[in-house]
Amino acid sequence: MYAIAIHGGAGAVPRAKLSAAREQRYRSGLEAALDRGYAVLEGGGSSLDAVATAVRILEDDAAFNAGHGAALTRDGAAELDAAIMDGRQLRAGAVASVRHVKNPIELARRVMEKSRHVLLVGAGAEEFALEEHFTLVPNQYFRTAERLEQLEFEQRGERVSDLVPPGPPGTVGAVACDAAGNLAAATSTGGMTNKRPGRVGDSPIIGAGTYAKNGVCAVSATGHGEYFIRAVAAHHVCAAVEYRGLSLTQAVHELLQLLRALGGDGGLIAVDREGQIVMEFSTEGMFRGARDARGRREIAIY
Amino acid sequence: MSRPKLPAVRCLLLLAAAAVRVAPAAADAPPIAIVIHGGAGVIEPSRMTPAKEASYRAGLAAALDAGYAVLERGGTSLDAVTAAVRTMEDDPQFNAGRGAVLNDQGDAELDAAIMDGNGPHAGAVASVLHVKNPVELARLVMEKSRYVLLVGDGAEEFALEQGVALVPRSYFRTEAREREFEETRHTEWAPRAGGARAGSGAQPSSMGTVGAVALDRGGNLSAATSTGGLKTNKHRGRVGDTPLIGAGTYANNQSCAVSGTGEGEYFIRGVVAYDVCALVQYRHMSLAEAVHEVIHEKLPRAGGEGGVIALDPAGDIAMDFNSVGMFRGARDSRGRRDIAMYRDDAKR
Repeated sequence: MYAIAIHGGAGAVPRAKLSAAREQRYRSGLEAALDRGYAVLEGGGSSLDAVATAVRILEDDAAFNAGHGAALTRDGAAELDAAIMDGRQLRAGAVASVRHVKNPIELARRVMEKSRHVLLVGAGAEEFALEEHFTLVPNQYFRTAERLEQLEFEQRGERVSDLVPPGPPGTVGAVACDAAGNLAAATSTGGMTNKRPGRVGDSPIIGAGTYAKNGVCAVSATGHGEYFIRAVAAHHVCAAVEYRGLSLTQAVHELLQLLRALGGDGGLIAVDREGQIVMEFSTEGMFRGARDARGRREIAIY
Repeated sequence: MSRPKLPAVRCLLLLAAAAVRVAPAAADAPPIAIVIHGGAGVIEPSRMTPAKEASYRAGLAAALDAGYAVLERGGTSLDAVTAAVRTMEDDPQFNAGRGAVLNDQGDAELDAAIMDGNGPHAGAVASVLHVKNPVELARLVMEKSRYVLLVGDGAEEFALEQGVALVPRSYFRTEAREREFEETRHTEWAPRAGGARAGSGAQPSSMGTVGAVALDRGGNLSAATSTGGLKTNKHRGRVGDTPLIGAGTYANNQSCAVSGTGEGEYFIRGVVAYDVCALVQYRHMSLAEAVHEVIHEKLPRAGGEGGVIALDPAGDIAMDFNSVGMFRGARDSRGRRDIAMYRDDAKR
C-alpha cells in the first residue's frame, strides 16, 4: 500500500485574510507536488524519490517558505535548511544555513549518498555542493517582493530582538511509504521571517523535524522549530509507536499536546508501514495533502 | 531521688534521637552526581605512556572535581556541567576548545550544546571558529536568545552582541594537532558498505569529544557536550551529533541526561541520546539496560562506534562504550569517585 503526504507549513492562516485567488494558488501548488510525488510511487519508484520530488516542487514554488520564496533573515537574505531520511537503513542527509543552493533538498540527499557525513552547514555545505557539481545561484534568486514586504512588516511591527516571539512559521515536507514498504521523510525551509542569521530550526535536525524508520513511521514537522528540537518531536512520535504501541494518530496527538504544554505550536504529517497517513496541527491551519493507492486524494488548509 | 537524673537521661535520649535523626537525614539527602567523558576510541595501554596516561587522568580529575565542587556547594547541575566541560575545552589534550582537531582547511571548527532537563531548555552552536568556550556560547543561546541552534558566522555575531570576546583561529591550534593534520590530510576515506570498517585509510583514533551530565540537589538533570568533531579529514561545515539535541546531548528531568561521543553520523541517525531516555521512560528499562541496548545492540547493528555517559534522577550512573576505551569519570555524594579510560580499568 503506497501513500504520500505533504505539507506546506502550519500557522495562523485566517480564512478571512486568504483571498480566493491566493487560496487557489496554494491549493494548486500543493496538488502539483502531491501528484508528482505520487506518480513516482505509482511508477514503482521509491519513497525516497517520491519525497524528494514533492519537496523539490514545493521549493520551486514561490508561495511556500522553502527554496524560491523562502522567508528572509533580519539581514534580508534567504538562509535555507533541509533534511532527508531513508527509513531502510536509517540513512540521512541534511544541510543548514545555505544561501546559494537552488534546491536544498537535493543537496541534503547528496550529503546522504555521497559523503560520510549527515549534516553540513554554511559555506562548508556550499563547498561540498560545488565539489558535487551543483550550480550555485545568487541569494536574490530566493528573494521575492512578498517576502521582503513580510520582513519589513515584521521589522516595523516589533523591535528586532532575540526575545520576541517569531512570526507565522512555514516549511515544506513530505513523507511516503512505497510499494515495498520503505518509508522516507523530507523537509525543507527558509525558517522564520526576521530570524537571526545562523539560526537553524528543527527541519534539518534528524529526530526533530524529520525522521523515518522502516517498520515504524516517517514524520515531517512544521511549526515553531525551537520547541520541536527540545521535544525531539519526530523521533518522539516514532518512539511512542515503537516502544509504547501507540497508534500513529495517538502518537502525533500526544506530541502536539506536549508541544502545547511547552508553549509551541505547529503540525506534523506522518505515515506508517501500512501506508496510513496522519496530518495534524495545533495551529489555525496547515497546508497539506494526502494521496494513497486506496484512492484517497485530498488537499486541505484549515 | 531519681528525679535529678531525669533531665540527664532525657538529654541523652534527645541526643541519641538527634543522632538517629541526623544519620538517616544524611543518607536520605537528595543525591548529587556528575559524570564526564573526554572521548571514546582506540584508547589502550599499548598506546599510552605512563606520563600520557597520568596527564589524561589529571585532566579528567580536574574537570570532574570542578563540576562536583559546584554541586557540593549547592550549585545547579547546569553550572556543574558547564564548569566541567569548560575545563576540558581549555585542556589541549581533549578534542574541544583549545586543542580541538583541525578540519580539512586546517581550522578548528567547534560545536557544543547544553540542555537543562528542567523545562526542558536547550542551546547549541555549530561550526564556530573563534569562540574560546563554545559551551558557554551554547548556554547564552539558551538563556539569551529565543533560538536553540545558531551556526557559523551568525553564531559568532551573536557572541559579539553578548559581549563574548572572540579569539584568533591560532588559539585553538596546538603543535600535536598540526602534526596530526599534516599526517592525515592526504588520507583518502572510503565509504563504508553495510557498516564494515573502512580499510587502512580510516586511521583508528580517539573520537574525542568532551561531555558531562549532572544531577543537583534540586533533582535537576543537565547535559553538555563540546567537540572539534572528526579527527580525520573533516569536511568544512560538517556538524556531528554533539550540538544536535537528542543525538549527542539530551536531558529531561522525567527520564535522564545523556552525553555521547563517537562516530557522530551514527549517533544522529539513531537519535542516540534521546533514544536512551525514551527506552528508560517508555520501555521502563533501567538506565544501564537502556544504555546497553543502544550502545551494544543498536549502534553496532548500524555500524557505529562510540559511547555515552548517562545519569538518571535517582543518581544512577551509566558509562558504556563499544569502542576500545573511553576517557571517563564519575563522582557522587555516595562517595564514588572514579577516573577510567580502558575497558578493564576497574581491574587494574
